[in-house]
Amino acid sequence: MLRTAGHAQHREMPRSWHLLVFSVGGRRLAVRTLEVGGISQWRESIPVSGGTPFVSAVVRLNQTVLPVFDLAGVLQRTMQGNSLLCLRVKHSLGDMAICIDEEIPILQTLDLSMIQPYRDNDVPAEGSYAHGQEEVPILAVSRLGMGSW
Amino acid sequence: MAFEAEHSQGVLTSQDWEFLHPPVVKGVPYPVVDLAVRLNLGGARQWDETEGVLLANGKCRGCVRVQKVHGILEACRSQVLPLPAQFRGPERGWYRGMILFDHSVALVLNTAWVLEEQLEGKASTESQGTEFVVALQGTMQSKNQAC
Repeated sequence: MLRTAGHAQHREMPRSWHLLVFSVGGRRLAVRTLEVGGISQWRESIPVSGGTPFVSAVVRLNQTVLPVFDLAGVLQRTMQGNSLLCLRVKHSLGDMAICIDEEIPILQTLDLSMIQPYRDNDVPAEGSYAHGQEEVPILAVSRLGMGSW
Repeated sequence: MAFEAEHSQGVLTSQDWEFLHPPVVKGVPYPVVDLAVRLNLGGARQWDETEGVLLANGKCRGCVRVQKVHGILEACRSQVLPLPAQFRGPERGWYRGMILFDHSVALVLNTAWVLEEQLEGKASTESQGTEFVVALQGTMQSKNQAC
């Protein structure tokens, strides 16, 4: 017969977040690594006419077709570089692709004490951290393309 | 883009008809459907439309002007991928899904929506078994995809 341990088990909260830091149109942003599906070279997207704000294309990655979230459009930025990258993120409705600058993203571990509420509302964010004078939003991937945030 | 071939009645070249007038085939008129306008692409049109695809869905008919017809692709129903759920606007009624085509993707149009202006009532577009698709953009002439 199985029995539980004598003391209550509790899941220890992580004291830090692992982030992938990237840029779109020169603007620095971050996303939690557990929400990243991969990074690859950007391939030409296929436009999909419709009425969903900032979701108006798909991109083919081998045998998979992903919807594209136009983060540059949200930020009103122009992509930088000739060899753009595709950031695949794990959205609750299915993976999405985001076109990012050619600058190679970096991994960063951030202590939870460094994370603050994001003061702006241009992108959905779980929080932000300071990088010099810059406030870097940590994207709330599950809210991308879900209307106003 | 692609149409389901079961709704396709044929293809006309610009030599077969004058683009300004609806073609009449075997005594049946096919009102011209401006797909670019329907897809809100009217302002960005940068191509010549040289061919027309004759479509029929029940009693509704229409001729869609296209840049080029690339051929017929036979695909299983399972190969028609659903439009990703992130597309939440009216486009969910515009497309039946997507197919992998050549090195790209073709959007399969919903014929009932394309011919909607000619429709008096909504027609079911459900099909069974194999999907036959006319591909309009891409490079292949005719190809079967293994199921």
